[in-house]
Amino acid sequence: MENMIELKDITKEFKVLNRREGLKGSFQDLFSRDYKIVRAVDHISLSVKPGEIVGFLGPNGAGKSTTIKMMTGVLEPTNGELLVNGRIPYKNRTQNSQEIGVVFGQRSQLWWALPLIESFKLLKDIYQIPQDEYDGMMELYAKLVNFDEILHKPVRQMSLGQRTLSDILAAFLHNPKVVFLDEPTIGLDVAMKSKIRELILELNKQKHTTVILTTHDMGDVDALCERIVIIDKGKMLYDNDIEHLRKFFGAYRTLKIRPREKMDVMVEDLTKELEMMDVRISHDDEWVFLLVNEEKTSVLKVLGLIQEKHKIKDMQLEEISTEDVIKKIYKEGI
Amino acid sequence: MNRFKKYFALTRAGIIECVNYRMALVVMVFGNLLYLTLIYFVWKAIFASSGSDVVNGMTFESTMIYLVLATALFNFMEMYIVWEMGRDIQSGKIALNLLKPMKYKDYLFWSVSGSFVVNFVFTFIPTFLIVMLVTKGTIAIGINLIYFVIAVVLAVVINYEIDFIIGTVCLYTESIWGINVMKQAVVTLLSGATIPLAFFPEKLRTVIEYLPFRAIYDTPLTILLSRNPDAGMVAEKLLVSLAWAVVMSLISHLFWRISIRQVTVNGG
Amino acid sequence: MNTKKRGLSFYIKIYFKIIAQDIKSRMSYRADFIISTLGMIATNIVGFVAFWLMFSKFPSINGWGYYEMLFLYGFSLVAITPTQCLLDNNWNLRRYVYDGDFVKYCFRPINLFFYYESEVFDVKGFGQLFFGLGTICYAWYHLALPVNFVMILKLIVFLLSASLFMMAMQTAAAATCFWIENSFYILDLSLKLKDYAKYPITIYNPLFKFIFTFLLPVAFIAYYPSLVILRPDEVPLLSWLSPVIGGLFFYLSYKMWMRGASRYDGSGS
Repeated sequence: MENMIELKDITKEFKVLNRREGLKGSFQDLFSRDYKIVRAVDHISLSVKPGEIVGFLGPNGAGKSTTIKMMTGVLEPTNGELLVNGRIPYKNRTQNSQEIGVVFGQRSQLWWALPLIESFKLLKDIYQIPQDEYDGMMELYAKLVNFDEILHKPVRQMSLGQRTLSDILAAFLHNPKVVFLDEPTIGLDVAMKSKIRELILELNKQKHTTVILTTHDMGDVDALCERIVIIDKGKMLYDNDIEHLRKFFGAYRTLKIRPREKMDVMVEDLTKELEMMDVRISHDDEWVFLLVNEEKTSVLKVLGLIQEKHKIKDMQLEEISTEDVIKKIYKEGI
Repeated sequence: MNRFKKYFALTRAGIIECVNYRMALVVMVFGNLLYLTLIYFVWKAIFASSGSDVVNGMTFESTMIYLVLATALFNFMEMYIVWEMGRDIQSGKIALNLLKPMKYKDYLFWSVSGSFVVNFVFTFIPTFLIVMLVTKGTIAIGINLIYFVIAVVLAVVINYEIDFIIGTVCLYTESIWGINVMKQAVVTLLSGATIPLAFFPEKLRTVIEYLPFRAIYDTPLTILLSRNPDAGMVAEKLLVSLAWAVVMSLISHLFWRISIRQVTVNGG
Repeated sequence: MNTKKRGLSFYIKIYFKIIAQDIKSRMSYRADFIISTLGMIATNIVGFVAFWLMFSKFPSINGWGYYEMLFLYGFSLVAITPTQCLLDNNWNLRRYVYDGDFVKYCFRPINLFFYYESEVFDVKGFGQLFFGLGTICYAWYHLALPVNFVMILKLIVFLLSASLFMMAMQTAAAATCFWIENSFYILDLSLKLKDYAKYPITIYNPLFKFIFTFLLPVAFIAYYPSLVILRPDEVPLLSWLSPVIGGLFFYLSYKMWMRGASRYDGSGS
């Protein structure tokens, strides 16, 4: 078997009710209904090799989750061929489940009232994991995470971070061939995010598990993915390694500064002072945004220049956001 | 005026939400008819076996009208407030609702008022019209309809206040189910929702006289069904209902205030 | 590729492990347990009072004596116990589907219906069981029915087949939420219908007799199976067949549930 996952020309359509507005409209809907077809995934082809980590990027409603749901067997594609681990997932949902692990963002799949260890024991029985494999896994987990903190705690009493961590551990427990992670770091603080990224990376390395993850967070992509797929409005816009993408867009960073001076004066001054530096300037009530192309000018240099003449209350440095990358891809192409 | 605008906005949203569930409405209407048919056959069997036309001072016809309308009233008054509150409290959503620019009690009432309206239109009115047509004039059309409407409004208030008091208990316990079924069992029996109070033994009826529950079903229906309502009798009944409405809303207000303070102090 | 076999013994083992954990964790909420039990008792007492108010004054209803009616009542209480205990999670199904949380049940390599229902075991159901059994014994005594092995065996077999009908009705009602957005009214209706299972079907006219026998099998929850014990001389074929028909109804409702789950699109609506 060459590829772990194989998508050929996959399309998924949903029938959606077109609701009319207002009180009158909803009474009209009562008697006559108007449906429209929405194409959530539009002719996507893709293959993933064993052991790869692939990140799916795209704005909300882009079709990432729908694609994942098809690969896990929850949804049947409207059109196209789909194989995961040599099987058609929606036709063999039960068998397919034995070979995959899934974490769906904030929806814990663990038993809410049980301590984590009891959930693990139940999963061991459900997946029929041999005792030695189970012991091996627990040993590995004990090395990778702070087990004492969570092992005897009921899931309902855990913090969101602990819960996500537990769900990821549970997803890897039966040593699946592929693990799907839908927004694994959503809503977590920075420390927890990096903890979870390390865990995923380590498990991928040790077990050679193929990992498919969706995210909004460029940090996830930087830390985990060698390869990314960008989806928007159901269409695949990009499928290549991250270096390739960064060459085009990663060089941009946004420098945010909060000036002590009056906003309009500041913006006017900066526009003059940075004229030569190829920096795009915009602002809102509090912040001035400077979009810097680091291939041409370094952010530090820009900051230095500003601090020579102005006093700054606060500053932040932001990577270019997924949304911006996608916007740029739209505008400028690859 | 502005004050009412925001309340009616909630009613309107509730109506839209209800109407969106088309199949649910169909099921509601047909389910109601099926249920009424069941009641009809059971009571017909009871009257048939009694061997007389009048049981406990009620004819089969008046018993049926009473039960059919009681069911119709039940359909639009039972708004599952205790469940709603219990879920809000357990999910922590209550904190958000407390921040809304109106009292939680008002907010909740006006949020469900949309379903009141929809259920009233889709179950009570058709049922009432059918009963009118089938019984041809057993229900007198006159001043008693106005008394009836007043009694129903008071019944809605009393029912809501009872629900709100019981719902407040959910601040203290996680057992929404237990609290709710207990309330439902007691209220449906003692209010005369499923069996006319005339069927109760004398002693039990005396006890019920002093409880608020009868104001929910028994009072409005007795007023509606009395042929020549005696003004004194009606006034007395309505005054008792009004008194209960005031008392219950005071209790629910105080109980909620005390409880919510305790919970916020203890950090829930 | 390893294919692991999961037979009946596997499922029974897993079920007991899961509910053992569930009960253990629930026992830690003692107040909840006590209040739920009180609620259960209150509901049952009120049910009895209502029954007594309606029927105690008359020697018989439609040819059915008071104690025979009471027997049917007790029988229906016991017959709905398995539904209450084993399938209580059906009540939450609508919300899981609506919120999109149902998806979390879809990734296990075991039967979906089983896995979903195993999450909740409702201990309160036992309260109902005791009330029901008590009522049956009380009626049994007053009816002077013989107490012997065959009778007890009949009672058990027909109680079990009656419970299949209730399980089928509730499962089918819950499954409608996969097609209909707000299926609460359907479940609620099935609960209301259950209350009417305790009346002999002879009180209905032919149309409703047909409906409650073949479409909404309410009459099988108490009436048909009870005939085997109450009126051994006039048992219709349907009564004897009730174990088979019950199995069939439950199987169909299970299929419907699974069918619904497979068209679940995983999004919240």
